[in-house]
Amino acid sequence: MSLAVFTQLSTLSCSLVLLMGIAVLWRHSLPAYIDSFARQSFFIVIAILSVAVYARDWELYLVAGIMFALKVVLIPRLLHRARTQIGAELEIKPYVNTEMSVLLAGVLTLLAYAVAQPIVALSDLPTRGSIPLAFAVVFVGLFIIVSRRTALTQIVGFLIMENGIALLAVLATYGVPFIVEIGVFLDVLLGFLVMQVFLYRIRETFDSINVDEMRKLRH
Amino acid sequence: MSGYLIEAFQCILTVAAAPGLVGLVRWIKARLQGRTGASPLQPYRDLRKLLGKEAVVSTNTSWIFRFTPYLLFGSLVVISALVPLIAAPLPFDSLGDLVVVVYLLLLGTFFLSLAGLDPGTPFGGMGASREMTIAALAEPALALSIFGLAVGAGSTNLGQIVARTLQDPGSTLSAGHLLAFASLFIVMLAETGRLPIDNPSTHLELTMIHEAMILEYSGRYLALIEWAAAMKLFIFLSLLANLFVPWGVAAVISPGAVLAAIGFLLLKVGVLAASLAALETTLPKLRLFRVPELLSVAFLFALLAVASSFLVR
Repeated sequence: MSLAVFTQLSTLSCSLVLLMGIAVLWRHSLPAYIDSFARQSFFIVIAILSVAVYARDWELYLVAGIMFALKVVLIPRLLHRARTQIGAELEIKPYVNTEMSVLLAGVLTLLAYAVAQPIVALSDLPTRGSIPLAFAVVFVGLFIIVSRRTALTQIVGFLIMENGIALLAVLATYGVPFIVEIGVFLDVLLGFLVMQVFLYRIRETFDSINVDEMRKLRH
Repeated sequence: MSGYLIEAFQCILTVAAAPGLVGLVRWIKARLQGRTGASPLQPYRDLRKLLGKEAVVSTNTSWIFRFTPYLLFGSLVVISALVPLIAAPLPFDSLGDLVVVVYLLLLGTFFLSLAGLDPGTPFGGMGASREMTIAALAEPALALSIFGLAVGAGSTNLGQIVARTLQDPGSTLSAGHLLAFASLFIVMLAETGRLPIDNPSTHLELTMIHEAMILEYSGRYLALIEWAAAMKLFIFLSLLANLFVPWGVAAVISPGAVLAAIGFLLLKVGVLAASLAALETTLPKLRLFRVPELLSVAFLFALLAVASSFLVR
């Protein structure tokens, strides 16, 4: 793969990753949130594969494979199951309305470009142009967590933030050691399972996964 | 000299082909929905009928009401000379760049809203207020998405942008280019009053925007406005086609290249018209209060396009 093609492919797939993260901000239904997360993970798999082909690193193929199995297939499926068991709460009223969220996502992206400037200037990797996009995915994930009301959406926000970190690791270093990667994947899976247990507990106690209800805990 | 001939021909082509394009979209839409549909030539017949009819003008109106159809039509003829439809570097390029094109488009919208308010009917005012809301949100996205391309090409001149893209075909698949395309497509839907935002085939009072403003027009005035709306659609589709898929645009002016360019232009616009019809068959109309959400997404696309081509070199 030539250098120019690789640079373009990595920018393109990272832009799509960011867009899928922002898609969560303008969609209104929980299934759409979960599907955007699955699609985002799929585009990260493509980004990892393109780096693997360019850098001829067989470990990255393995990472891409695990990523696909875990984040494109397994976790979305578990999320869908949790959603149907809890009872689909389709319409979500976020703290920040949709137009404002989308515009704030744009501001966060610009902030990511500003923050990542020194890293981009230091690096001479062909993927350096995409590093700000990975930062932006992390910021957008964080924004989803603080601006949405239901616990399930906040889990999706956390997973999106984690996706951004994984993308950053691949873009900035062409893959951390395999053992670390495995550890991160296990962390995500365990973290997710724990959060799912919490989700069911919240649902059992409050009859809703709206985290506003949890104010009652203060007394 | 031949450059000026091409300019004149571009104007004639836009004026002549625009009603056919609207007819084509309607016809494909009808076929997709399982109806026979009117022939694609129907808009020409409608225009001839309207031009032959008496124009009734309310006594309450001022000169703006009678002036607007001519201004709208005229501004679109001027735009068709400024936009690279057939050949890329053209003599009128130095007269106006994308800023001029964007604001000429807005001038027509502005006067149409004024004309909607002028007779003092409730529908006209409602349509005008909705149109201005949408225009105010669509305009920044439109300007920013073309700026995204301009940054890549190093010039705000539309002809230069097309010429630069022709020299570097790989750039059409870059993230900035694709995001700008998505943004411009949404803006096109908003500006030309197509389905998710405005339904062009209904006069239902709850939903109409464009139709509400022109409710008081009749005869030749109505013909001119309908014609101008068709030209706007034609210009937007050919801008989308030529800015993002510039192949076929004549870089040198010779009879063969120009003929091929006309063929390519009509083919590309035809493909876009077919996809527009397919989109309109599958999409429901958006609630009015959700239109700003869609347009803020278009703005975000444009912003990301500018960021990815400008902030990282």
